[in-house]
Amino acid sequence: MTAPLLELRNLAGGYPPVPIFRGIDLTMAAGESIGLFGPNGHGKTTLLKTIAGLIDPWDGDILFDGKQLNTPGRMRARTSRNLNYDLFRRRRIHTAEVVEAGLIYVMQGNLLFPEMTVEEVLAIAPQAAGKRPGTAEMRRMVDGLFPRLRERWQSKIRYLSGGERQMVSIAVGLLAMPRLLILDEPTLGLAPKLRLELAAAIARIRESGVPLIIVDQNIEFLTGLVDRLFLFDHGSITREIAAGSMPSHEEVMTMMFGEGH
Amino acid sequence: MAVETLLFVLMSGVLLGGLYALMATGLAVVWTTLGVFNFAHGTFVALGAYIAWQATQAMTGGLGLILAAFLSMIVMFGVGFALHYVLIKPFERNFNLVLLAVITTLAAASIIENGILLTWGPRDKQITPPLTGKIELMGAAINIYDFVILAISLVALLALALFLSKTATGRAMRAAAQNREAAELMGFDVPRLYAMAIGISAATAALAGVFVGSLRFISPTFGSDPLMKSLVVVILGGVARFTSPIYAAFIVGIAEAFSGYFLGLYWAPAVLFAMMIAVLLIKPEGLFGHRSKTL
Repeated sequence: MTAPLLELRNLAGGYPPVPIFRGIDLTMAAGESIGLFGPNGHGKTTLLKTIAGLIDPWDGDILFDGKQLNTPGRMRARTSRNLNYDLFRRRRIHTAEVVEAGLIYVMQGNLLFPEMTVEEVLAIAPQAAGKRPGTAEMRRMVDGLFPRLRERWQSKIRYLSGGERQMVSIAVGLLAMPRLLILDEPTLGLAPKLRLELAAAIARIRESGVPLIIVDQNIEFLTGLVDRLFLFDHGSITREIAAGSMPSHEEVMTMMFGEGH
Repeated sequence: MAVETLLFVLMSGVLLGGLYALMATGLAVVWTTLGVFNFAHGTFVALGAYIAWQATQAMTGGLGLILAAFLSMIVMFGVGFALHYVLIKPFERNFNLVLLAVITTLAAASIIENGILLTWGPRDKQITPPLTGKIELMGAAINIYDFVILAISLVALLALALFLSKTATGRAMRAAAQNREAAELMGFDVPRLYAMAIGISAATAALAGVFVGSLRFISPTFGSDPLMKSLVVVILGGVARFTSPIYAAFIVGIAEAFSGYFLGLYWAPAVLFAMMIAVLLIKPEGLFGHRSKTL
């Protein structure tokens, strides 16, 4: 058996001093895509930001392709309010290393760089992740996925619609040549037509062989895209559902909140 | 009132404007990129002038001054780059960063100023201007060197604008300025880009310092006036676009020259601050700004 692509062991984290999630155990096999479903404000985004290296994990391990991305062990709590602990405390995970390893996180409702044009943003995207082979093919694929972006090539990001911004975000993520792409609520607040367009694009990304972690509030949207679904509730994973037995939205709501939710 | 007098005052105002544009743009680059105000910017101007002066002691003549200016800019880039890791990075995760940066950069200003005093002593120095000729322009005699300074200042600003908009590193700096998290997620080393922003700002300050040092005398405390003027310029023009502080710099320079000539030198700062207060009251985001700060 090959090594898992992503492995989280007993992961805990939050915004000190507030714990947000704890005891997260998750293993993603190579080539597998998973979905994460759960109510707002229960820590899904915090978990993903921790995996992406934006926030230090408090405890546990993040292993990507067998390589430990974070400093192992428990983070020591600060004991004095009067010392600048940031001066002595090293980061326990580094975004640059996470990106370098090929784990790419596409933020939720990302504003990106409001004053830069689509062209400028897409031009610096591959350079950021340290030019990898296959960038030219990826550019062609991105062009094919989001033809709409070509029409807005010289527009500043701030003048794009929410859906177009999301497309730029995903395009930036793809140009980093991801070995695992994390999409955080990609269809949040989009018009139905754009939502369909984006869903089709995400399905094609999946078919092209890029493993995905997708967070979404829409079970039907996730069902076709992922191999397994994890229900996330109150800061931990409460249930795992295999692809064959994907429930309907109603059934999931009952699982999470009980009868007559 | 003779036309040539007005023209002469206008020209000296435009020259001042060019220098202020150089200083204020450096300050604006740091403000828009890091979101902190660098109170050491004035001492960067002073230190740059002293380094260039020291270099011209070894290398004389016009070529010597050009080399000295380049040397000073390179050294100051390094100083600015290093200072980011000392003054700002240790506090970047503190929610009071803006206030802490005020204190650390003020402290750095004080240390640099006293370092200059210890190294070069309290006596005024002057960088020998390489050109002394004058040309007649509609009856007013204007120094050729003034034109050269204005031209180099504008070319330097144009080069900086092109660097920020066309090169990969410049675009990365703008990206880090506009959305730090997104830039990190693209794999950029954001602290290094921030350090480069301060380095570039310090290098433009050094260039301004060389020019000011060859027009006037330099003393250890002479950084406070450029800092004050840059502050007025940045507030007056806003930082919505790269060009906003540049336009404002020429307004401030010309206003200073005319109020200095007609009202007396003592009143010139009062006029500038009155303009600044008026702008703050009426259009707080600056004359050429809207509510955003970007490059």
